[in-house]
Amino acid sequence: MKIGIRPIVEGKVTGSVLLSPHPISFLGDVDSETGKIIDSESSIYGKSLKNTIFVFPRGKGSTVGSYIIYGLRVNNVSPLALVAEEAETIVIAGAILAGIPLVDLPDKDLFSIVKTGDIITIDTSEKTLTIQKREK
Amino acid sequence: MIMFLTKDQEEMLSGMKGEAIAKSMELIVKIGDVYNAKQLIPITNAQVAGVSYLTVGESIFSYFELLSKDAVKVKVPTWLNPAGMDMKKWKEMKISEDFAEKQLRIVNFYEGLGINPTLTCAPYLIGHTPSQGDHLAWSESSAVSIANSFYGARTNREGAPSSLASAITGLTANYGLHITENRNPRILVDVRTKLESFSDYSALGYWYGQKFHGSVPYFVNIQSLNINEAKMLAAALAASGSVALYHVKDLTPESKSIDTENVEEKIEFTESNKNEIYNHFNQINEGPDLVVIGCPHASHEDVKLISGILQSRQMKDGIEFWIFTSSKTKAAIDADSLLTNLESRGIKIYADTCMVVSPSVSENFQNIITNSTKAAHYLSKAKTTMVNLLPLDSIMKEVTE
Repeated sequence: MKIGIRPIVEGKVTGSVLLSPHPISFLGDVDSETGKIIDSESSIYGKSLKNTIFVFPRGKGSTVGSYIIYGLRVNNVSPLALVAEEAETIVIAGAILAGIPLVDLPDKDLFSIVKTGDIITIDTSEKTLTIQKREK
Repeated sequence: MIMFLTKDQEEMLSGMKGEAIAKSMELIVKIGDVYNAKQLIPITNAQVAGVSYLTVGESIFSYFELLSKDAVKVKVPTWLNPAGMDMKKWKEMKISEDFAEKQLRIVNFYEGLGINPTLTCAPYLIGHTPSQGDHLAWSESSAVSIANSFYGARTNREGAPSSLASAITGLTANYGLHITENRNPRILVDVRTKLESFSDYSALGYWYGQKFHGSVPYFVNIQSLNINEAKMLAAALAASGSVALYHVKDLTPESKSIDTENVEEKIEFTESNKNEIYNHFNQINEGPDLVVIGCPHASHEDVKLISGILQSRQMKDGIEFWIFTSSKTKAAIDADSLLTNLESRGIKIYADTCMVVSPSVSENFQNIITNSTKAAHYLSKAKTTMVNLLPLDSIMKEVTE
């Protein structure tokens, strides 16, 4: 299945989805040293962003969150790509600084289609997100 | 690329002028593309957040390394937001040696870029006032609102990295509040209750921001709006609702050209709406252990007012009273002997930092009184602190004898 997306930071990667149903405040919700979700109220608490394709609705909170995304890259715990329902400046700035592919505005309701563990490919030159393999 | 770039801008983006400039340009251009900007515009000055070690943490040092490669300098006058401590009296604030060492490195790095280490959220109180129509890249949310609303300058709510990128390139993308049409009000607010204290202005802002996130308001029936009142309103609107611009009938520079035919909704702000906010921040059961004033940073007049209410009274035992301001305002307070007078009565004045970005307040106190809804909003997020919101004269009566 192919879903159309808007490319913001370019790249082509394939990886396993980690999905957060809630908006993310990178400052406070994510540990930049381990890549783990440290917001104890999150349904993906304790999961690591490392080498995942991180799917989330949007960023929120302090704009310093961009530096946390950059820190993930420096500490080798960054996600392979970021997929937002709608990107805002915190996430855009963080993805650019860190050089992590970022896409948004999926043309289908991603949150009812993909789930954590699915294997997907992001291709910004084709402007697509392709579901390769479903998590059983 | 959707946006039109000049040859010089293309070169900056391509890396011909170094990696730090290329990253900064990429950031501005990509954010501009997302918001459909058609070109970049020069800015007059910038105000950069991302200073307190409490908020930026270790990650900032990796980014500083990248910027250090090309020895870049800022292209326009640039001011810094508050740090996590008073740069001189940090020991008295119970800040650790480790925190202080890292905080000093951060401030020194920004200084090395050519940024003026004002360490204040209110640069307009120390002479850095923007002019109507100036395009800016400011990031402290209350200062953004003051620049737009009180001075009629134009800035979006920049993030910590984007304001720094704009300072380095001297450019920002032309979208959002840089465009005249986006500055029109969406909601008309008839203020039916008298605003008699700074905390009343703060309550109005907090109430509106909670209800109408992000929408530009047009306030009518406000009788007075000096800079000290305006900053309380601005900070509250931004803290509860990310509002970056407001207009007040007859009192803000762009209010004359406003067309109220296009507002989507008209509402009233009543005495009971005001009381809702005071009741929301009425959390302390025991006696208070700290009063914090200076969110946004206190002006010289704010401090004079406190001194006037205090007269010959003293702080009660067991309660501390902290005022936060800039080092420049503190020097002015010192010069006219207000400082020694207040200190002799038990009031402490800290510069360069505040109750929101320093670990000192939430780590050492539990029951805090303030006259600012923004301070109350952030302090009450810490699970260990309770906050009361009160007007300044009530606070002074409660905590002095």
